[in-house]
Amino acid sequence: MDLDKRMTLKDAVAKFIHDGDTVYYGGFQIMVPMALTHEIIRQKKRHLTTIESSTDVGGLDIMVGAGCVTEIHSAWIMNWYVKAPYAIRRAFNKGHLKRYDISNFGATTAMMAGFMGVPFMPILGNIGTDMIKNNIMDLRIIEDPFTGRQTTVVRAWRADVAIIHAQKVDRLGNVISYGTRGVTDEFGANGAKRGVIVTAEEIVEPEVTRTDPDRVIVPYFKTLAVVHCPWGAHPSACRGYYGLDIRFSQYQGRYERHEELLPHFLDEWVYGCADHAAYIEKYKSKFGQAGLDRLKPKLGYTPSPKLGVDYGYHDPACWKGVPMYTDDRLKAFEEALAAKKGGK
Amino acid sequence: MTAAANYKLTELMTIRCAKEIEDGEVVFVGVGLPLVVAAYAFATHAPNMIMLTEGGAIRATPPEALAITVDDPAAFTGGDATFGMLATMAALQRGEVDVAFIGGAQIDKFGNINSTGVGDWSKKESFTYFAGSGGANDMATSGKRVLAILPQDAKKFVEKVDYITTPGFIDGPGARKRLGMIGGGPSCVVSTMGVYLFDIITKEMYLSEYFPGQSVDKIKANCAWDLKVSPNVIETAVPTEAELKVLRGIDPTGFYLG
Repeated sequence: MDLDKRMTLKDAVAKFIHDGDTVYYGGFQIMVPMALTHEIIRQKKRHLTTIESSTDVGGLDIMVGAGCVTEIHSAWIMNWYVKAPYAIRRAFNKGHLKRYDISNFGATTAMMAGFMGVPFMPILGNIGTDMIKNNIMDLRIIEDPFTGRQTTVVRAWRADVAIIHAQKVDRLGNVISYGTRGVTDEFGANGAKRGVIVTAEEIVEPEVTRTDPDRVIVPYFKTLAVVHCPWGAHPSACRGYYGLDIRFSQYQGRYERHEELLPHFLDEWVYGCADHAAYIEKYKSKFGQAGLDRLKPKLGYTPSPKLGVDYGYHDPACWKGVPMYTDDRLKAFEEALAAKKGGK
Repeated sequence: MTAAANYKLTELMTIRCAKEIEDGEVVFVGVGLPLVVAAYAFATHAPNMIMLTEGGAIRATPPEALAITVDDPAAFTGGDATFGMLATMAALQRGEVDVAFIGGAQIDKFGNINSTGVGDWSKKESFTYFAGSGGANDMATSGKRVLAILPQDAKKFVEKVDYITTPGFIDGPGARKRLGMIGGGPSCVVSTMGVYLFDIITKEMYLSEYFPGQSVDKIKANCAWDLKVSPNVIETAVPTEAELKVLRGIDPTGFYLG
């Protein structure tokens, strides 16, 4: 079978994500599917439920802020670079968002159960906490039928559709991801009922995939759509391609922080960009090509890497002396806020 | 061993905290200052420690440059095994982790930690969400002992946390065993003001050291319960120039140490 699943970001989201879907949200503190996040916001998808273990750089925060997501099952959601999930906080306070908390391994185990097609799975954590009190939808205590002891179990999580970013994919939909195995995409994606939408830095020939099938985390038959999308995880990292854009995450986070400001960020960086390539062009015009170049790893760092994979060296020292990103709107807002506070 | 004239609070906390890690131990390192502490312990007295992260890195050597997060590419470069979160968290559940090293936002006298949010969760409009558990709950449930590092004031050191995200001794002696937890619970807390240990009988946290510039009275004023103080309470040693020299090379951009 040689079914070419390549399509545009726009078509992939329009065709395969429906209002009310449960979506597996890929990545962790890296490999966050940001291009897909922006497209879901652009297409004003509504009443989505998300499942994932942990997610950073504010991707899920802006998706909640834009009104796309009304239910979240997660262990940890943050924009670590401003140390809070501001839009999620506001949505929860207003009763617009249901949140079901669980531990990281609880979430991973729930997705493993979904991946394996079994109804639930035991876990050691979560007992004795308020998570288990407040989240009986996902967590229960049962009697271990073998020992009679009480055992915590998590319900299997299965998304309708998974959205992930990867280094490479072939046109058939074999997804190649490596170098950062904290990401639970293999469980969340394979467990999805309808299948997976993948954005990737590069499209390779299926013949290339077949030289090293060890690298495939999602086999082609699970994949619905293949989107070629360089920088598709920005401002999170994609190992071997770019590191974390700490300054941009901080910049975005300052918009996330204030309810009045976030719509301006969405207008400028999401609705105002036709697609992800336009977002990257916007970045270059505002913060310069140097901002992107800084994120690129030193390739060839590991001598003779096995299996032909060049992980590159992502040197954190690239941030030394780099000033905060800002713009006139943000500066004016923050100065006015400071003046107001100072005046009290 | 010259005592340093100038150092930052974050540096004092990091250096003091690292002393809780023994060479050769398996240490599960959470996001935040624990990443700096682990790198520092590797570089000083614990070169044989084994570092695990929930990002899935297993390392016998320190990251070549500081990992900012637990699945930062820097945590993986030159690692020994990178099986993933499944492998490192499974090691916790198998009882193979000596030290679970976490941060948090609020702690109570039994060492229960809140990283979910403050306020009343059932009254949604009043609850201020933080990030959530992450792996802290799993780490503190099953790690042989728990080391925590967090900021202190009277709203953060409270009689009862607003939300138990991560279990300490829950409501006192016997609770962990009753709930079937395999880990031993909290052993040491390093705050922005001092160092705390736990009474082996009552399981209550008590003050063991106060930082230079602090006093027992000041610390008690920044703790919302009637804090017990060790009869042998001492002032924490000031970092030495040699210690600071090593530490300052670890976080060259000052992301965590300021």
